[in-house]
Amino acid sequence: MNSASPPDLLTRSGSGLLNWLHGWRAVFRFAGVAIVESLTPRTYNSATRSVVLKQIYFTAWQILPRFTLFAALLSYVLIQIVVDTARNFGLADYALEATIRLLVLEILPLMTALFVALRSGAATGTEVVLMNIHNEIQAIEAAGVDPNRFEFIPRVIGGAISVLALTAVTSSIALLIAYVVVYGPQYWNLPDFARVVAHIFDLPTLTILWAKVLAFGLAVTVIPITEALAAPKKLFFAPIAVLRGMVRLFFVLMLIEVLSLALKYI
Amino acid sequence: MRLLEETPDAALISDSLPLRANLSVLENVAIVLQYRRNMNYDAAADRAWALLGRLGQTDSAFKRDPDLGSEQRFAAKLARALILPQPIILIERPGLLLPDTHYPAFLDAALTAVEDLFEQCWIVDYTWNEPLYAPR
Repeated sequence: MNSASPPDLLTRSGSGLLNWLHGWRAVFRFAGVAIVESLTPRTYNSATRSVVLKQIYFTAWQILPRFTLFAALLSYVLIQIVVDTARNFGLADYALEATIRLLVLEILPLMTALFVALRSGAATGTEVVLMNIHNEIQAIEAAGVDPNRFEFIPRVIGGAISVLALTAVTSSIALLIAYVVVYGPQYWNLPDFARVVAHIFDLPTLTILWAKVLAFGLAVTVIPITEALAAPKKLFFAPIAVLRGMVRLFFVLMLIEVLSLALKYI
Repeated sequence: MRLLEETPDAALISDSLPLRANLSVLENVAIVLQYRRNMNYDAAADRAWALLGRLGQTDSAFKRDPDLGSEQRFAAKLARALILPQPIILIERPGLLLPDTHYPAFLDAALTAVEDLFEQCWIVDYTWNEPLYAPR
């Protein structure tokens, strides 16, 4: 039986670590380029605008009714559980604040990002890896079209806008449901409700929330695209590249969530 | 790819440079104008349609790459290369691009239809195929 000698093992571990670090460097580099390009006006020509619109259509608009319905149902169930539990423990005064903190600040942004990652992140990764394998990226480059600006940056912009928009829609609906569950279907408790909301959404909380959602939005497209572009141009590497992208994406989303919790509560 | 690096002013038509699979032929041609001339889609698509018309290939305008025959695919690649006039077009191994076609005649007809859009056409092929191509 052959066993790897310690120097071989060390070389392989070192090589694995280097590949892992190169992967992260590529992710951060592409994220940086995407942020700079998205803020550069010359990025937005007729071709890139149409890709951004298509990305928003397929990522957000197409799924909006079903996703909103699901988010409303989940919000209603969770709000009901939190409100009932709080009342049972004599903490009814804190029920509204607890539900808003739980849903709007944590669960809904994370759920939206995971949903977009599963639906669009996987699709984007698969499309880009196949484009790369079939040489389509080189073909459009040869036609004088910058693939980064035409194919990838617009997808990142569209993905980020979609996550922001879906989070905003589901959060607004959750706030509405929370009001109805806590106060009933009337409007004279609106000033109390507004006071609680204003107390929760102070400037630091809002800043962390928007930074988190923006990071989610960038991650769901940047990571699958980076992994897809790094894959060797062999068809049998396509599923491996998509798998790697999705695993890395999952850990990044969780890491962003943990980081935002740490910033808020520790 | 080395061909392109050595002749940066040339537009290459090659089996190794496919069309974008998720775009129709019309979109594949129009994006060059949209991206490089910032034309809106309708104006770019009108120009792309007119060029495909000159090549006699408007039937394939709304098809995507997997649904194209080899002649339609070649015409689409030629239209994409020539939607902006080029000094040189390089056609790499026409026999590979146009299998099952009497390609010298087809190639000659296609190039004649758009000859005002390029100055020189270079065909890259094996030397034993040289007699197949008329000097242009």
